[in-house]
Amino acid sequence: MSATRDFYIIQPKDSPPEMAEVRKLLTTNDLELDDEIEQFVVCRREGRIVACAGLDHYTIKCVAVSEDRRGESLSLQLGSEVVKLAAERGQYHLFLYSAPRNLPFFRGWGFYPLIEVPRLVVMMENSPVAIKIYCDRLRKQRRQGRQIGAIVLNANPFTLGHRYLVEQAAAACDWLHVFVVKEDASLFSYDARFALVAAGVEHIGHLTLHAGSDYIISRATFPGYFLKEKTIIDHSWAAIDLLLFRQYIAPALGITHRYVGTEPFDPVTNHYNADMKHLLQQTPSAAPPITVLEVPRASINGTPISATEVRRLLTRRDFTRIKQLVPDATFQFLENECPRVPQTAE
Amino acid sequence: MKVLKEAIAGTLESSDLLVKVAPSEKETLDIVIKSEVIKQFGKQIRRVVTETLGKLSVSAGSIVIEDKGALDCVIQARVQAAVLRGCGSEDIDWRRLS
Repeated sequence: MSATRDFYIIQPKDSPPEMAEVRKLLTTNDLELDDEIEQFVVCRREGRIVACAGLDHYTIKCVAVSEDRRGESLSLQLGSEVVKLAAERGQYHLFLYSAPRNLPFFRGWGFYPLIEVPRLVVMMENSPVAIKIYCDRLRKQRRQGRQIGAIVLNANPFTLGHRYLVEQAAAACDWLHVFVVKEDASLFSYDARFALVAAGVEHIGHLTLHAGSDYIISRATFPGYFLKEKTIIDHSWAAIDLLLFRQYIAPALGITHRYVGTEPFDPVTNHYNADMKHLLQQTPSAAPPITVLEVPRASINGTPISATEVRRLLTRRDFTRIKQLVPDATFQFLENECPRVPQTAE
Repeated sequence: MKVLKEAIAGTLESSDLLVKVAPSEKETLDIVIKSEVIKQFGKQIRRVVTETLGKLSVSAGSIVIEDKGALDCVIQARVQAAVLRGCGSEDIDWRRLS
């Protein structure tokens, strides 16, 4: 297959001259280079890069084909190459973002639309059935009741603040569904975070603790969430995540209310909460609206409890103060793990 | 034979197909076929896929196919490749597959 030879992979960090070319190709196509992309598949023909597609973990981004090379099936080769690259990296469940007008183009890549923000962006995944299988699985855990609540926690790590939020929501609801963010992009691993949440909500009977998924605060649905401690971002881009929740997750479980803590410190989460009120309650949608309730954060001595604060205290090994902010299980975990915890968060 | 891990075979190009296999949670065999020629050849494609899986004795797995108008022998070869990758098979009786 001689045609595939002119496709190759570049790492943005190692190839500044080629990235200049990629950037130019993207600019001509009204796209910006995304700094999170780890690898690009590029196609070089007659000395210049004529097509590119980037991969950020399991999300395909920055796809462009030079205008004079369209209509010769180059895009399908590009799609095959990027899907193959992802598979070599062990990633099979892929997402991508596209302008809605390019949806038919990516259908040819075997991607199916999940969520569209009209006129702005469409999120697609490379399976015609994955979201349905996921929702069917959720539907089996559906509980009857007038008020069915949901909370999504990263719990990095689980604090008394989280416990307070869960207790408040549980007291108001007939059943509560709690999700733990699955992405391993935080200081503490998913398994550790999940175990601490499980220990911390054990005393509540009418509650289901759900494993996280790619569809709920993941790198694919809400990339900004995982960048918040690395860079300053001016928009959180939470719309896709929230619309997925409203259109797929909430109807599957019959969720009527979503609970969040007020967020005094973290601008990304704060913005997310504001977006949540708008997109879950007000935006017109075929899916029923979900009431968003902000629960004031629990405080100790007048200072709101936050996981960010716990991580800050941890870098100073200030266990006396940490003990005031976290449940016993979390405290024991932190004491055991601390020597191995790196000094720089996230 | 069961699909134990995710695997792919093939391409998205014309006259080819991309086969994606993954373990199935409920130990069932689920086949989803998407094809540009589903109206003309959907039944035939499904028959080739089912027969190929049968010859490999695949009893559980999720099989998703994105067909771009591939010939039967191509479908057969791609399905075999994806399944064998997904089952981590080392010893393959190629004669059974012909």
